[in-house]
Amino acid sequence: MSEIEKLREKLKGLNSEYAKIKTLPPEQRGEFGRDLNAQKQQILSAIAAAEAAEKNEKITPIDVSAPCAPNQPIPTIKRGSKHPLMTELERVISIYSEMGFDIMESRQLDDEFHMFDSLNFPKEHPARDGYDTFRTSEGFIPPAHTSTMQHRALKKYQHRLADGGKIAVAIPGRVFRNEDADATHEHTFYQCEGVFVSKDANMGQLFGILKHFFESYYGQKLNLKTQPGYFPFTEPSAEFLIEKPASLGGKGWLEMGGCGMIHPNVLKAAGINPETYSGFAWGGGIDRLAMLKYGLGDVRYFESGKLDFLEEF
Amino acid sequence: MRISLNKVKEYVQIPDGITDAELISLIGSRLVEIEEVIDLTPRYQGIYIAKVVSCEPIPDTHLHLCQIDAGIHNQDFNQLENGLVQVVCGAPNVYAGMLAVWITPGAIVPETYGNENFKLTVRKLRGYESNGMLAGADELGLDNEHKSIAEIDPKFAQPGDDFAEIFGLNDIILDVENKSLTHRPDCFGIIGFAREVAGILGIKFVEPEAFAHSESLKSISDLPLEVKIQDSVLCPRYSCAVFDLKDNQPSKYLTKSAVFLAKSGMRAIDPMVDLTNMIMLETGQPLHAFDYDKLVAVGGSKTPKIIVRAAEDGEELQLLDGKTIKCITDDILITSNNVPVALAGAMGGKNTEIDASTKRVVLESATFSLYNLRKTQMAHGIFSEAITRFTKGQPTAMTMPVLEEAIRRLGVDVLAFADDYPGEEKVTVVKITTERINSLLGTDYDADTIATTLENVGFKVKVPCDAHLEITSPAWRTDIHIPEDIIEEVGRLLGYDNIPLVLPNRPFLEAEIDPLIKLKDELRSILSDQLAMNELLTYSFVSRALIEKVNRDPDDCYEITNSISPELQCFRPEIVPSLLDKVRENIKSGHHNFCLYEMNQIARKSSGLNDDHTPITKMHLGIVNLGDYYDLKAKVLALFNQLKLPVEYIAISPTVASHHPYLEPKRSVEVIVAGQVVGAFGEVKVSVLENFKLQQPISALELSLDKLVEAPRSLKVDLKLSRFPFVERDITLRVDSETPFGRIDQALADFLDKQGLIYSLTPVSIYQDDDTSRKNLSFRIKFSDPQKTLNSEEIADIMNRIIAVAAEAGGEAI
Repeated sequence: MSEIEKLREKLKGLNSEYAKIKTLPPEQRGEFGRDLNAQKQQILSAIAAAEAAEKNEKITPIDVSAPCAPNQPIPTIKRGSKHPLMTELERVISIYSEMGFDIMESRQLDDEFHMFDSLNFPKEHPARDGYDTFRTSEGFIPPAHTSTMQHRALKKYQHRLADGGKIAVAIPGRVFRNEDADATHEHTFYQCEGVFVSKDANMGQLFGILKHFFESYYGQKLNLKTQPGYFPFTEPSAEFLIEKPASLGGKGWLEMGGCGMIHPNVLKAAGINPETYSGFAWGGGIDRLAMLKYGLGDVRYFESGKLDFLEEF
Repeated sequence: MRISLNKVKEYVQIPDGITDAELISLIGSRLVEIEEVIDLTPRYQGIYIAKVVSCEPIPDTHLHLCQIDAGIHNQDFNQLENGLVQVVCGAPNVYAGMLAVWITPGAIVPETYGNENFKLTVRKLRGYESNGMLAGADELGLDNEHKSIAEIDPKFAQPGDDFAEIFGLNDIILDVENKSLTHRPDCFGIIGFAREVAGILGIKFVEPEAFAHSESLKSISDLPLEVKIQDSVLCPRYSCAVFDLKDNQPSKYLTKSAVFLAKSGMRAIDPMVDLTNMIMLETGQPLHAFDYDKLVAVGGSKTPKIIVRAAEDGEELQLLDGKTIKCITDDILITSNNVPVALAGAMGGKNTEIDASTKRVVLESATFSLYNLRKTQMAHGIFSEAITRFTKGQPTAMTMPVLEEAIRRLGVDVLAFADDYPGEEKVTVVKITTERINSLLGTDYDADTIATTLENVGFKVKVPCDAHLEITSPAWRTDIHIPEDIIEEVGRLLGYDNIPLVLPNRPFLEAEIDPLIKLKDELRSILSDQLAMNELLTYSFVSRALIEKVNRDPDDCYEITNSISPELQCFRPEIVPSLLDKVRENIKSGHHNFCLYEMNQIARKSSGLNDDHTPITKMHLGIVNLGDYYDLKAKVLALFNQLKLPVEYIAISPTVASHHPYLEPKRSVEVIVAGQVVGAFGEVKVSVLENFKLQQPISALELSLDKLVEAPRSLKVDLKLSRFPFVERDITLRVDSETPFGRIDQALADFLDKQGLIYSLTPVSIYQDDDTSRKNLSFRIKFSDPQKTLNSEEIADIMNRIIAVAAEAGGEAI
């Protein structure tokens, strides 16, 4: 007889005791009844405990370190991956967008006019060599910088100036340079350009925006510094560096791109009077942001199409 | 370009209290991008001048056993009883009595510094103890060629002297990024660089007297000399002088100029060439020396007649490096009586080369069109220090002072002189207000501060009335033309870092986001996060072979003329081929179940041009799926379902099959959204898969997102909710195998639509047994009446009518 059965027998016996109550003198009945009740309660809880213990015994322990139970299929979760460069670009775009910048994407096939002429590069000027441009047999250019869109951006959003507003555009896109790929160089990479024009745009605002952008991007206060640079389409021109953020180990400076006040000839070419308006522009690479963020040592992973790499993201 | 900080300090007095590190940081933030700071001091420690007192050959070896007078005492080496130190030396030029450079035991061989850091010791060579080594210029990191040990001129050194101190090697070299000075020809000389250093320190630069222009040469005409510029655009100025060379034998000693050249990344050749190079490094003005007698002989005229002209196409000239070039018409030639003797700005000709027998020299100091020289540089691949400077546009004002200084340093008497300068000295005056400067910089500088800042670096500033400035730029500043150029000078010299940072005030205007960018973000989260696909980025350039592999005409692609390799020759006409190209590699690395996608721009010549005459590019989505048509179809359905875009599919007809040349038309469809074909998907042709060494089944999709972005979405949600219970019934219909599933499915849906029921119709299975002429289609139908609970008679009635409809469409209920 199992423990539970014994208890149930005992309970049956106890129940039959209740009949005795009537046979007792009235003054003893109360105490007798209470005593029976207490005993019954005790047995009932003992039965409940025994039943629970029995159920519990049926649950066998499993190997929590195993991926599945014996003879069962291993559960899998099929997940996809987003390309880290595109994720970074999305983040950059959303920050500029929140800052009130219109967003347009850069073209991947352009011409000499947009890539150089409209940007105040004199014809045949050696500065054009610095960009190592590819060319098609028709003379088109897969652009070497997103500045190729400056002229279009200035034209497209000129109506904002006429309405008493400002031009503020961010232009992400893929660009190309004719150079051999190695761990830190790719012939194909991504940039984001910023263009701002107003009646009172100045360098202090340019640096203010850059600082604000990188502080938003890294989520911490950061210092910005500049070093001289030369770009035919800006005057004055500078290159800008940011303090290495804490998330990247802090200490030192990171070169982030080029910037400057838009050259009057660039404004003029787009039909904007440089006497009335001034503007600034800047640009920087996206690949570098992603490499720093994920601690990647080789830029060539990005366009490798290797799932071993992509599935990490 | 390499800049010696010591040399800079010769021209500008650095104020006390400014450390080298501060100075370098200031140069980096206000003058030029510094790529590398090379501190030479630690690499020349423990190196001394020593005298070789005795030198005996070690029998049966090429070695000599030397005893040297070290002039110093050190615990790291062993002195002999006579106080001398024993060193074994293998150089052929070692001799008793010479002064040599001794690297002591414990010191690092400078050549190896920063790499293997080879540290010398006291060790035995062929049984003889050797303390350190006697070093050659190569081991000292000053030359690439291993020739012999360096010999030191006793005129300026004695045993025990610190080698680095004697030769100015306690120096810091700044390796600067040339690109950041593309517009500053003046900064390609130490003097110009130093002038800027003074400017950023806020000190007035004192122009070196050595380069002040005198008229001293003008009167000399002992010999006839004729110079003629044919086109002053190609060559704005050509100055030259003739003199007799005293002695052009390379010195046997390691000279200070050789060390300076080495620090600047150049090599010593002979005194004449070294001098021209030294002066170029200091002033930025390249010089070139011709052998006078050879020049006259080549020209066939009795007297020298130099003509500067454009080259004729194909004209030949053998250069100093021995190579014979064929000229392009953009090249500029220096000719002797019309016979080419030099490729202007780039390299001299072999026919007039200076050598040991040269007695008389023509020294050229000229300027050329930077645009032509740039083409010369590209056409002939010449990237010398000289052409690097010429292509920045050297000012005409410098040719004479530099020529005069060269002659002074050579200490020669000029026999003839000529200076052809057809143009006129141009003076640039820029007028600007302090307000304009401050408004563009966001600063608050006063007129005095601005004037002083500019005057420090050679500008002349007049302040005719309050806050108005008239600025005359110095002759060497060929880059100053407009007020913004002055604003840059002020902002940079006073420091961009000193500009207060502000954010512009902007009204709260809604910012536009390119709808394509938004659509791409949306697609990424559906494809990657919900449909478990992997996003790829592949190159925009592909090979002709890849395009041919998918049966497309590569001639419809924009072709890159200067591609890196044939693999990157064509701008891609679609995305799918690039993805197919990545499948095999991923399968080989162990992935067997994946679906790749990429969104990027494509272009085809046949698409034509935009209004601005640039090629039309389109944004495409490409998908490659390891699975058959149905596998991909489920994903495409889910995608459009998520996008809330009503979509239709039509079989690919023979007339449009060529639009999708890699799709198997029998197993593919075109996708139609809002009445337009937006793309196609289906199984990839077996023949195409074979080209990629892939096996069936693989399916692919190519969609034009430009068309998709405009399609209206149907955001209304079709809620299948009813207050009354749903009935669920399965039905299996037996049909001819030829009967399309869609026909039966459509017939059932049409019927249910008309019944006023809330319903769902879901395919459950398609079954075919050994009898392939028939197949069974099973559906699950769930329905509810929105008005009442259906009773069993009503349910039976509906099911019967469904069976009748199915029968009409060709499906027999079983």
